[in-house]
Amino acid sequence: MLDLATAPGVRAHKPDKLRELGIMSLNGMFDEMDGVAVLRQAVEELLVDDVAIVSSFGADSSVLLHMVSEVNKDLPVYFLETGKHFPETLDYVETLKRQLGLTNVIALHPDAKDIERFDPKGDLWETDPDSCCHIRKTEPLDATVSGFGGWVTGRKRFQTAERGVLPHFELTSDDRIKVNPLAYFSDADITTYKLKYGLPEHPLYNKGYKSIGCAPCTSVVAEGEDPRAGRWRGLNKKECGIHFDFNGAIAKPMAAQELNLFKDGAFIADPFRAWAEGDDAASVRYTHIPLPVFLEHREAVLANPHPVGLLVSPGDNVELVQGDLDRFSSIAINFPAFGDGRGYSSARLIAERYGYKGELRAVGDVLHDQISHMRRCGMNAFVVKHEPTRKALEEGKLATVDLFYQPVGLTEVPVGTRPFLRRALENA
Amino acid sequence: MYRYDEFDAAFVKERTAQFSDQVARRLTGELNEDQFRPLRLMNGLYLQLHAYMLRIAVPYGTMSSKQLRMLARIARDYDRGYGHFTTRQNIQFNWPKLRDIPKILADLASVEMHAIQTSGNCIRNITTDQFAGATADEIIDPRPVAEILRQWSSLHPEFSYLPRKFKIAMTGSTNDRAAIRFHDIGLQAATNALGEIGWEVWVGGGLGRTPMIGKQISPFVPHEHLLAYLESILRVYNRYGRRDNKYKARIKILVHETGIDTIREQVEEEFAHVKGGVLTLPQQELDRITKYFAQPDYELVNETTVDVAKEKILNPPYGRWLERNLNAHRQPGYVSVTISLKPTGGAPGDATDKQMEVVADLAERYSFDELRVSHEQNLVLPHVRVTDLPAVYAKLVEHELAEGNAGQITDIICCPGLDFCALANARSIPLAQELSRKFASPERQAEIGDLKIKISGCINACGHHHVGHIGILGVEKKGTELYQITVGGDATENAAIGNILGHGFVVEDVPAAIERLVDLYISKRESADESFIAAYRRLGDAPFKEALYGNA
Repeated sequence: MLDLATAPGVRAHKPDKLRELGIMSLNGMFDEMDGVAVLRQAVEELLVDDVAIVSSFGADSSVLLHMVSEVNKDLPVYFLETGKHFPETLDYVETLKRQLGLTNVIALHPDAKDIERFDPKGDLWETDPDSCCHIRKTEPLDATVSGFGGWVTGRKRFQTAERGVLPHFELTSDDRIKVNPLAYFSDADITTYKLKYGLPEHPLYNKGYKSIGCAPCTSVVAEGEDPRAGRWRGLNKKECGIHFDFNGAIAKPMAAQELNLFKDGAFIADPFRAWAEGDDAASVRYTHIPLPVFLEHREAVLANPHPVGLLVSPGDNVELVQGDLDRFSSIAINFPAFGDGRGYSSARLIAERYGYKGELRAVGDVLHDQISHMRRCGMNAFVVKHEPTRKALEEGKLATVDLFYQPVGLTEVPVGTRPFLRRALENA
Repeated sequence: MYRYDEFDAAFVKERTAQFSDQVARRLTGELNEDQFRPLRLMNGLYLQLHAYMLRIAVPYGTMSSKQLRMLARIARDYDRGYGHFTTRQNIQFNWPKLRDIPKILADLASVEMHAIQTSGNCIRNITTDQFAGATADEIIDPRPVAEILRQWSSLHPEFSYLPRKFKIAMTGSTNDRAAIRFHDIGLQAATNALGEIGWEVWVGGGLGRTPMIGKQISPFVPHEHLLAYLESILRVYNRYGRRDNKYKARIKILVHETGIDTIREQVEEEFAHVKGGVLTLPQQELDRITKYFAQPDYELVNETTVDVAKEKILNPPYGRWLERNLNAHRQPGYVSVTISLKPTGGAPGDATDKQMEVVADLAERYSFDELRVSHEQNLVLPHVRVTDLPAVYAKLVEHELAEGNAGQITDIICCPGLDFCALANARSIPLAQELSRKFASPERQAEIGDLKIKISGCINACGHHHVGHIGILGVEKKGTELYQITVGGDATENAAIGNILGHGFVVEDVPAAIERLVDLYISKRESADESFIAAYRRLGDAPFKEALYGNA
């Protein structure tokens, strides 16, 4: 039929126009729901012996794997063994292999040297999830798929807003072909398919997990929430960096985004954004709602099912929201100018008097020499744009005085035999 | 007096390192001037008219001889051989070079001194009675509590970016020598109905362009709750003080605009939360700090008085010095000695390196190694044996420090003025010098008696002109320096703000105008015992106005 594939391993740098047109025309050839035909086309015509199938063995993986078994049980199926999976997922791999008769499931492990270098303590997912995905998923997968002219994914249009226009076939920016047999499948179609072929569910699916990745970065999704909302919850992260975007360019890895939020010792991507004109208090998500707006729309915000934050600006009375603070996943103390010290009082009231335990971040004019004061007043995260300040934080070279005369806050420990006034920064 | 322990020393060392880092970042351009300014200020470094000015903290005005010797050395090595003692009991150097600042700070740290929070919108040096712990008229020695407040306020994370600067003054005596009614917070030792000693708290006093007398916010706060109470006031101020206008940002404006009763309610509400918490001062801690301020080992001496009348005949200058410059001591046989930094024709508050060393020697030899700075810009030897007075006096005479004019018309408080200060509108030191020459005659000064003249070179009132019995304010009108004269101010427990009686005078006419006021007073007083301020209170503005401006 169409001889579009080039020889394995030889990749043109510039996509051929004809090739692009061919891929586009392929997208009109198959019935939207005929994933098996799409897969068969890829395996038997387009990319003979030159296609990899990648599966996460997650909640919806059984459908694609069933299609693979229909086409050819010996096709190579790659599974990213990140080392961070739920035990249930590993069990599920075995269950599906057995039930579908797949003979060629290959586990891809992260490079041991990368782990030793970047994640010796195994907590990278916490401090820098993008890098974690990169060394555990992107790198191993890149190394494997670069040997193939294309690969098959289980992505679906309905999964997230970003994937709303997903086609069956995509040409990537490095001139490979990505095949998405399930592109048009809805949640209901998946369920119907699973029922029709008696496919086993992922053991966690009925426990509320709708999209399942590594254990630390996957949480339960609420009724009505986007199914992938449980992935990297609390982080402004939607994709793990291994997919390619619709136009064929490699999707920009999240790590390349601006990492402005300094938290727990590292800069990370900020899941939150600022409140904007026209936002709806009842439905915003990952947004810091200004305190006066919250007071005006209190009922709507309290009924909003998504994670939201509160923005406290100078002059705002935190007393008025003391009973509602636990509703917020994050509270931002706004410093419009560093010389305006009202935020220090607000923060102490929120953390000390009202016992708020969540993320208390400083935003605005956050500079080097104020950060230690902010910390002492209970702030535990900082949105920092000032480049020298970022550098000082990254290098751990903040010029501070870590000996404290006056008791402030909840974390400061007495030094030596002095029970009253003198304190030092913990671990200092 | 208080001695640093390892913690204090480490604290100052860290702070010095931090500031050195900040200076380095300013030099590389990492910090712009806007970002650097507040950091520089919080370390006492100002950019003045001609050069940098470094203001060094003298906590509650107390120093050892070793510390004063270091100040002398800094004056000699890094400045032009003198220093200027201020109305906040600090010292400032007017000519240090920026590159020397880290070295100066390191030298200071070696004698337990620093420049932390001597400026900036934070809690400034706590000031107190220069005779604290020595004077006979004291309810309690305020220094232990002052030291605790110093510690509590040092790099307080919540109160380092207040709407404006914040000054606390305290006195343990009912005779207020610390001008507590003219501070953001004034603390007056008080006894409650149970006979317990604590603090009467005044708030919202201040000078500057809007002078205000402090208002009583609490009649009695016990020691153990004082920090909690002060933190409550500061929190209310930090949250609600105005930040829209620098000139309306002091707590006095908040108290004035909100009303003392409302402020009291807000503070009490805050206090109800904070009281009994982590800021409760344990008696044990108060005792521990108090030990540092234990009375020195006084000798029991037979001779407990000095015959001033006899000395006045035998040696009139010495007699006058005895009459004016001694303050009654709690210990029989001892007195506190005021060393006047107001010689005829001198710049008020200035001392040369040599003079500082001489005073340090005297303190070491005759005053248990202790000395004080008064808010009236003089030095004090707090504990001198009556029998040592001739020796002390002789040494002072040698170094032109023996002016017997404490509290007299030439004991002038004066700001640096246009000769140094970037804010000033008019010169103040030359006027003070001129007045001190005009009234130099000891007999004339003795005839006039107690009279406080205070001179500011601009509306910011660093020279306390509002509370001078006679106040002089330099203003600039159409390119000319004019001097506004006020009468009737009083910084003591009888707090009053002076009245402006009419138009200003050009500098040449000021001494004559002051003389007319003085002559009027002498002609109208009931007796030599009626002071200028007492006569003014009895007579009112009218005769003084007439003296200044004629019968127009």
